Amino acid sequence: MNTLRVLLMLAWRNLWRNHRRTFIMLAAISVGVWAMIFMTALTQGMVNEMVKDGVSALPGHVQVHHPNYRDDPNINNLIPMADTELSAKFAAAGFEQWASRIKVPAVITSERESRGVTLLGIDPNRERDLTFVDYEDIDGRFLEDEADKGVVIGRKLAETLDTDVGKRIVIMSQDPKNDIADRGFRVVGLFGANMQSLEETYVFAGKQTIQKLLSVGDHVTELVAMGDDYRNVEPVYEKVVKLVDDSVVVNRWFELDSYLGTMLRVMDGFVLIWVVVIFLALSFGLVNTLVMAVFERVREIGLMLALGMKPSSILGQIIIESMLLLVIGLAIGNVLAVASIAPLNSGIDISIVAEGMEMMGSASVLYPQLRMEDVILANVVVLILGFFASLSPAWRASRFQPIEAITRVD
Amino acid sequence: MVQRSMAMRNILITALVMLPLVSGAENPDASQIVRDAVNHWRGVASYSEMTMVIHRPDWERAMSMQAWTKGDDKSLVRVIEPKKDRGNGTLTDGNSMWTFSPKVNRVIKIPSSLMGQSWMGSDFSNKDVAKADDIIDQYDHSLLSVSEEDELTIYEIQSVPHEEAAVVWGREVLRIREDHVVLNHSFYDQDGELVKSLESLEIGEMGGRTVAMRQRMGEVDAPDEWTEIRIDAVDYDVDIRDNLFTLSNLRNPRE
Repeated sequence: MNTLRVLLMLAWRNLWRNHRRTFIMLAAISVGVWAMIFMTALTQGMVNEMVKDGVSALPGHVQVHHPNYRDDPNINNLIPMADTELSAKFAAAGFEQWASRIKVPAVITSERESRGVTLLGIDPNRERDLTFVDYEDIDGRFLEDEADKGVVIGRKLAETLDTDVGKRIVIMSQDPKNDIADRGFRVVGLFGANMQSLEETYVFAGKQTIQKLLSVGDHVTELVAMGDDYRNVEPVYEKVVKLVDDSVVVNRWFELDSYLGTMLRVMDGFVLIWVVVIFLALSFGLVNTLVMAVFERVREIGLMLALGMKPSSILGQIIIESMLLLVIGLAIGNVLAVASIAPLNSGIDISIVAEGMEMMGSASVLYPQLRMEDVILANVVVLILGFFASLSPAWRASRFQPIEAITRVD
Repeated sequence: MVQRSMAMRNILITALVMLPLVSGAENPDASQIVRDAVNHWRGVASYSEMTMVIHRPDWERAMSMQAWTKGDDKSLVRVIEPKKDRGNGTLTDGNSMWTFSPKVNRVIKIPSSLMGQSWMGSDFSNKDVAKADDIIDQYDHSLLSVSEEDELTIYEIQSVPHEEAAVVWGREVLRIREDHVVLNHSFYDQDGELVKSLESLEIGEMGGRTVAMRQRMGEVDAPDEWTEIRIDAVDYDVDIRDNLFTLSNLRNPRE
């Protein structure tokens, strides 16, 4: 115990013998650590937004479909169980959020244009917290209940169709008998979304109205349930599986949107790679510093060995010196990172590159996300790898022959 | 501005209310006039030969076709000329529509997503062809004015689609002559702006009836793009068997 204290003191004092070199090394480590954490926070923020947007662009966390629906989202692939019966079960099961809806491809036509869209027959009260649509940010009004006879379309779509709130449009789709189901609807509201593609793709109408239009009685194509965290959907998944029979399939969001699911996994891996790459660059500086420190002190180390200090203590002394350097660097780096992320919490406007980001499925405001796991990961990786990097110079120092070392002439 | 449009509307409403009084004893029923016109044009059953001319600023092409109709909702159209399109056919039955092309040797049911698309490259949409007589029951008809031309009464009728009708137009205005010939069919958007119109350019005697022999469909925004239908011959009240309007007959013509 006593040796350790002595070693610690020796290492600490050695560190400040050439304080300029130490400061330079500290600066390098701090900037490196800052870059690790800051960039990780940015990437995580981006992925987080993408997943949240992706999940609110309707998959929810867990969905129930007819087994064929995902391959062929047409109205024939209805959930076989009646909606009222299922809804009652879901309501009793106590989900954070859940909803049942009809989701089919349709064509929307105005006097001048027609476009292919995804028609959603929803219960607006159930969907409030599920969708990407902000009910307060609607030109006109949102749907009032599931029997609402109006439709709500995106602002961009309204522009393309040259229509507006209060005008009529025609929606055409197919009923289960393959006959054309069409009807005039009055546009009651326009919604905005953070991605143009959402405004162009989705058309909302009342669930009952759509059920009647498509003559599907009391059936829906999709059930969706939400838990409280998109990274942990298993509890919701298991709960849903218990509620339905095997005439339907249950999927988690990362199966429904495998691009997003893969993205999340890739990004988690990417964080580690990023940290390691920065560390590799850092380690050259670190090893170089230690080698120099040892090189300068050959005679001194020889003397210590001659006086009876064990080689393992020499080893420990150098490693402790390196660890002290890293810990101070990490501390400064962490503080820097937190300090530089905090003012950006309200989001970074990257709308200059919005179009490109949208292709990736990301919105044009970036919220950096500082996650404890990532910070710990960066610190632990730096410490462990730093330990291994300093082994080699320390090992060499501990193997000096005392006589040779003392008598060495530089 | 608001004041003026209010005033305009008042005048319009007054005019509408007054009309039946003005037109006097006959008191023509607008929807009856429309119904008569559709029946007159189509008959119980008909066989016709016609030419469709599609005109664009830099090209024009003509297609000659045979058409059969029966009742309210059955029709079959088959292309004869030009040679490369020969045998292309369209069958409608109720709201459904199928096309057949000998080149791909396949009958295709027109899905709802294509109903708004153009029919054989013309200015008519598939929907125009399949649902030509929706005009009777999907609209509220009212008489706008009655005028006289060449000793024939002309009724101007405004047709406003029902709230839930699958029609995008704000209103349509038909000018129908007392011998049931539709002189003009205009489509207005919901701001009251004229978008496209179908006009009868030539009217004559054919198959024992007075019909529009040359009709032109065109959009207001593109005056040099239009499609003309010219009736070359028509035979009304012919005996047409129901099995003419089947998918197998669309594929393999029997007559």
